[in-house]
Amino acid sequence: MFSVKPTKPTFKSYLPPVPTDVKKTIEPPLKKLEPKLLQGEIVVNEVNFVRKCISAESSQDDLWGKLICTNFKVSFIPSEASSKQNSHLSHLLLGEHDIPLACLEQVVTVNDTKGKKKVLGSNQKLKFNPTELILYCKDLRIIRFCFVEAGPESAKKVCLAIAHYSHPADLPLLFGFEYQGRRYHESKGQRVNGATPRGGLQTPIFDRPSDWDREIKRTGASEWRVCSINESYAISPSLPENIVVPVSLTDQDLKQHSIFFMNQRVPHWCWNHPNGSALVRMAGIGDPLQQRRIDQRVFPAITKSHPQRSEVIRSDVDKCLPNIQDIQSAFIKVRQICVIDPFEESEERWLSSIENTRWLEYVRAFLKHSAEMVYLLDGKNTSVILQEEEDRDLNCVVSSLVQLMLDPHYRSLIGFQSLVQKEWVMAGHRFLDRCNHLKKNDKDESPLFMLFLDCVWQMMNQYPAAFEFTEAYLTVLSDSMWIPLFSTFLFNSSKQRAQHLMDFAKNKAIPQGEDQVVYFPPVWEWSQQFSTKDQTLFNNPMYVGKGAACVQNGEVKTFRRTKKTYSSTLRGTPASLRNGLKAGGDSLTRRGSLLSELRPDFSLVKDESPSERFFRDWFSRPADLQGLLIPLLLPSHLALWKLYFLRWVPEACIAKGGPITAYHKLSQLVDEMEILQSQLRQYKGPSPGRTPRPSSSWSLSDQRRMYFKASSPHDPPSPPDFLTSSFPFTPMGNLCRRGGYGTPISKFLNGARIWLSTETLENDGL
Amino acid sequence: MEKSGSIDSLGSKRSSSRQPSVDSLSSTSTSRSDRSAQAKPPFAMSSESVAASAELSPEFRVKPKPAAKQVLRDSDKEEPQLLPNETVQDRAQDVTYFCPFIGALRGTVTVTNYRLFFRCMDREPSFVLDLPLGVVSRVEKIGSASNRGDVSYGLVCKDMRNLRFAHKQMEDTLRKSIFEVLVKFAFPVSNGLQIYAYEYGQVFPENGWKVYDALSEYKRQGIPNESWRITKVNDHYEVCDTYPSTLAVPVNIPDEELKRVAAYRAKGRMPVLSWIHPESQATVARCSQPMVGVNGKRSKEDEKYLQAIMDANAQSHKLFIFDARPSVNAAANKMKGGGYESEDAYQNAELVFLDIHNIHVMRESLRKLKDVVYPNIEDSHWLSNLESTHWLEHIKLILAGALRIADKVESGKTSVVVHCSDGWDRTGQLTSLAMLMLDSYYRTVRGFEVLLEKEWLSFGHRFQLRVGHGDKNHTDADRSPVFVQFIDCVWQLTRQFPAAFEFNEYFLVTILDHLYSCLFGTFLCNSEQQRLKEEIPKRTVSLWSYINSQLEEFTNPFYVNYSNHVLFPVVGLRHLELWVGYYIRWNPRMRPQEPVHQRHKELLAKRAELQKRVDELQREVTNRSASSSSERAGSPTRSITPVQTFV
Repeated sequence: MFSVKPTKPTFKSYLPPVPTDVKKTIEPPLKKLEPKLLQGEIVVNEVNFVRKCISAESSQDDLWGKLICTNFKVSFIPSEASSKQNSHLSHLLLGEHDIPLACLEQVVTVNDTKGKKKVLGSNQKLKFNPTELILYCKDLRIIRFCFVEAGPESAKKVCLAIAHYSHPADLPLLFGFEYQGRRYHESKGQRVNGATPRGGLQTPIFDRPSDWDREIKRTGASEWRVCSINESYAISPSLPENIVVPVSLTDQDLKQHSIFFMNQRVPHWCWNHPNGSALVRMAGIGDPLQQRRIDQRVFPAITKSHPQRSEVIRSDVDKCLPNIQDIQSAFIKVRQICVIDPFEESEERWLSSIENTRWLEYVRAFLKHSAEMVYLLDGKNTSVILQEEEDRDLNCVVSSLVQLMLDPHYRSLIGFQSLVQKEWVMAGHRFLDRCNHLKKNDKDESPLFMLFLDCVWQMMNQYPAAFEFTEAYLTVLSDSMWIPLFSTFLFNSSKQRAQHLMDFAKNKAIPQGEDQVVYFPPVWEWSQQFSTKDQTLFNNPMYVGKGAACVQNGEVKTFRRTKKTYSSTLRGTPASLRNGLKAGGDSLTRRGSLLSELRPDFSLVKDESPSERFFRDWFSRPADLQGLLIPLLLPSHLALWKLYFLRWVPEACIAKGGPITAYHKLSQLVDEMEILQSQLRQYKGPSPGRTPRPSSSWSLSDQRRMYFKASSPHDPPSPPDFLTSSFPFTPMGNLCRRGGYGTPISKFLNGARIWLSTETLENDGL
Repeated sequence: MEKSGSIDSLGSKRSSSRQPSVDSLSSTSTSRSDRSAQAKPPFAMSSESVAASAELSPEFRVKPKPAAKQVLRDSDKEEPQLLPNETVQDRAQDVTYFCPFIGALRGTVTVTNYRLFFRCMDREPSFVLDLPLGVVSRVEKIGSASNRGDVSYGLVCKDMRNLRFAHKQMEDTLRKSIFEVLVKFAFPVSNGLQIYAYEYGQVFPENGWKVYDALSEYKRQGIPNESWRITKVNDHYEVCDTYPSTLAVPVNIPDEELKRVAAYRAKGRMPVLSWIHPESQATVARCSQPMVGVNGKRSKEDEKYLQAIMDANAQSHKLFIFDARPSVNAAANKMKGGGYESEDAYQNAELVFLDIHNIHVMRESLRKLKDVVYPNIEDSHWLSNLESTHWLEHIKLILAGALRIADKVESGKTSVVVHCSDGWDRTGQLTSLAMLMLDSYYRTVRGFEVLLEKEWLSFGHRFQLRVGHGDKNHTDADRSPVFVQFIDCVWQLTRQFPAAFEFNEYFLVTILDHLYSCLFGTFLCNSEQQRLKEEIPKRTVSLWSYINSQLEEFTNPFYVNYSNHVLFPVVGLRHLELWVGYYIRWNPRMRPQEPVHQRHKELLAKRAELQKRVDELQREVTNRSASSSSERAGSPTRSITPVQTFV
């Protein structure tokens, strides 16, 4: 028998599950409900006759079935196969009702009759028999199971097991280590046949000097070199083995300087502007005296790497941006009002509640600071050093946003992934701690990467044609953080990754010299999670970059490119204008009594800073989506990322509506264009003398890039019914708060608050 | 391979980051099509679009498009491009316009009988402000001529902006300031002049006055039928002078009884049919409040009449009466002879209050909103400031009310009667929004025009009073942005269902701009009767003439006509947004977000080109194979049908 309280919590020691008594006695009339298990996945505990709550209002839609805890996930298997909607994104490794253990934020058990409630941690006791289990998930789902008809002991055991296994004692106990080991050996045969480097992965991982070299070439950073002083992590435990430094700095210099930097994180290069300015990041320096010394030694080297020997500006990122605790608490608050508070309650003062979370304020702060850096690099033609105490958190956000704004390459799918790889994974963002996968230290938890994704979404929302990928992609990427099967989000640094993967390879008998990317793939290998068809949901039909519909065929030119010199962007306003302003400004009082409605508007025109002028100038011209992109940053420009924050909320789901309906139409159009293009290619044919003639096949359906295919005359003209504002996700059964609150429509009319005066009352009826 | 290509694209960024300014100039002036989705102000305050004047004048658009250079020359002039019968009334040099976004600008002001035109030539490109006088709500001289002899004037506009000008004190004290001239033409009604719409007289290919015909609209709905008939009882507006002449009523109520029903309803606005469900026959009817009064007066005819409305729908044995007001307000109206239906008197009827506030609350809310958004948005507390205006909350209540109505009719198959106090403000908002949700016809451009003509214009929304066309009395308590609020609600629907509407955002903004501009006759007067008396269709041009003559500008490329499809919006604040493209459009920092529509149009153009080439090749193939032999299995071009082509 499985013991509820194992002496030493470890996944490794688990034997195949012992069938429980519940299974033996009650099961026979039911058909067998078998979980779908991955390689290396074992059932830890299970309970039958569980009700999964689907809606808070009534239990009529609830599903009956079996609740299972494995060493990877919580799985619910409904006794009646649901009319599975193929319309939604289906995960290859997770079923509709599955939740990876790593995705659990809180495990709460409730006994309604006794009025008891307990949040379960690892290795705990439960003094009551739970009637309900509520799982709060990191991807914002709230899933509820009811045990009223289930065996009380088995229910309790499953709850304890879920709580226990969602708190792994050590990193190698995360299921990914088991799974990828098995997967490696089982899929070995297939790999040998179609041997492509790195398993065909196109995203540069930046774990080799060659990736950095290519990036240096791509950005024209000729005065920078790949340096391997950190080989075997000899200098810094958190920097990658290869970093890029100014040509004029010797390894010796760097070694000398390194001791003054926190974690020995010496200045390392991120990116080069075509004008020669460089973006560099580094850690803080403990001793203020040393700071000056370093400034004097390192800055000139960076200046030397600039073609115009232009000065270097250091930006103290810690000082002007919220810290990781601020960000964490903002996120908790947004989550609270978006999904945890009852809809009706949070609806009351929705706008000010959102404001009070400060989440959007922080998103804006990061975008704003990054835009300032863009001004320095692009407008002022200076190199920029981002300095943050640890250089592993805020710097990741800022450096990647700056590059996203400046370099269209990073707005392509592969480019974006390489950016995350470069500025987050290899730069040593502490994913393990920030995600709190081991649930050991809540203080270190902070959704920095989530914040970054939100910033990206804001830009995408403002420039919908500038990104090759969609918001569905960003959402899926955020969800992948909680599926511990990929190397991307599991480690704090490349050193830690290297060590763990080395042990892993040894334990799993993986031959030496085998590529890490092959035996423990990063999340970028999307085929592990999604079918080719589902991956097309990542493609933005509006994208104007390389490989997009409009520039694919060289003969049809839609986007004209014309010359414009950079210097003109810094044109100032004429002096006469400023004088005129002053002449008029001082004679008028603020809020004149004569005209209280008339505000002295012009008094608000203050002198512009150079960066403000740079931005104004940029905004006054139509944006080139394949050039510099600056987000609009008035408070009114920022929006809540609804797909991410509200996708599970049934009350917020717009049936047959949402942005997806426009995406649907565009997607069809682009698909149709691609069919036409392939037809053209076929007509032209390889041999010019041949009679142009279409071959029967544009059944290129496998390679088609768009999720929604061109409609045929037989299709109804309307968008499919399954499109909702939550698509490709569904709120169905994924957000079930406790308690019922009437029907959705009645919620909106619970009496208007009284703000009207008696005077207006009297006037009613005019 | 990817690398080298990327260096290229990065390098070329420097040279290609912008379109040349001449280009953008010509595109704004010669063609709107590429910008249609951006809700660009049609009479623009703009330093960028020099040729803003051209955008304004509808007559300009239907003429052959001038070459870009031509426009440039035109725009260098200090004068606006005049409309037919538009005459310059005064011109003044050296006037300072205090732009809240750029600062003080010195230039020339021209006042015509239609517009104020300011041009500052000091700047490159030159700055133009082109403002129809109809948007001016009040003009005030500010302060005395104390400071260096400047006189300053403030203009409060109906379209969410304030403008301020100053010029030197006149040396000749007898001479009128240009702003005194402006006052005269901004408020023609108060000054015994004619509103410009009566002089405009532009001829368009389409005649907008023919868009709406009551009988054919009722016919479209299937009326008359066995339960509903058309009555001519109000043919001469004798029963109700604010109602249209054509009304649809239950078959079994004779005209004589209708008159008695009308007598029991405020202003004689008896319940009449607005819309009937094509399948269930559930109906939406509208009216004003019953004259219950403090003594609880009843009317047998009215009770019978509502019963008849209920009986006309065999599907349900219930009738819902939606009173748009908060219940306290409805009760307070008893003091003034009004009130609401008691459920004792009306068997089988259920009364629901929708808690929507009156015109004064709405006016105050929009005024607060203007404070928050114009001229600048405070850097902090944006959302709580927005919340404190309650504007979105009002929008929510109106949409929620309309949703309940639509839900009752569609899901409950129950007939509903909607009223507020007089039934010409909130009632119109509710019925038209519910109809928009229920009937996809109203989501087309023409259908929406019909909806406005029917539910707003013919049913007597008092546009003249609510907007105050040409009237200087800006404190008039009858003014209220009820119609603006309705258009805002429509915009909210288009946001939630981006593929369900044939028209785009620019269409909605254009309607609101011409609500005030006094260029077209559409929104003049308070009722059908008045419009008839004033011979509006004969003497003025309809806004729909202008719009329907260039539909492409106003169409939504994502539109998919899904007929028989009811929209149920989410009316939570989570999905309601401030309509930035309208309320904050004057702020240059509030540049419209990258228009998806524009990209879509580019794609459509390219698709059309591809299709053309495939067709050409196809023809070539057909010709050749016809000359040799034919053994084709199927034609490839047949397999694809264009989704929909707008370009």
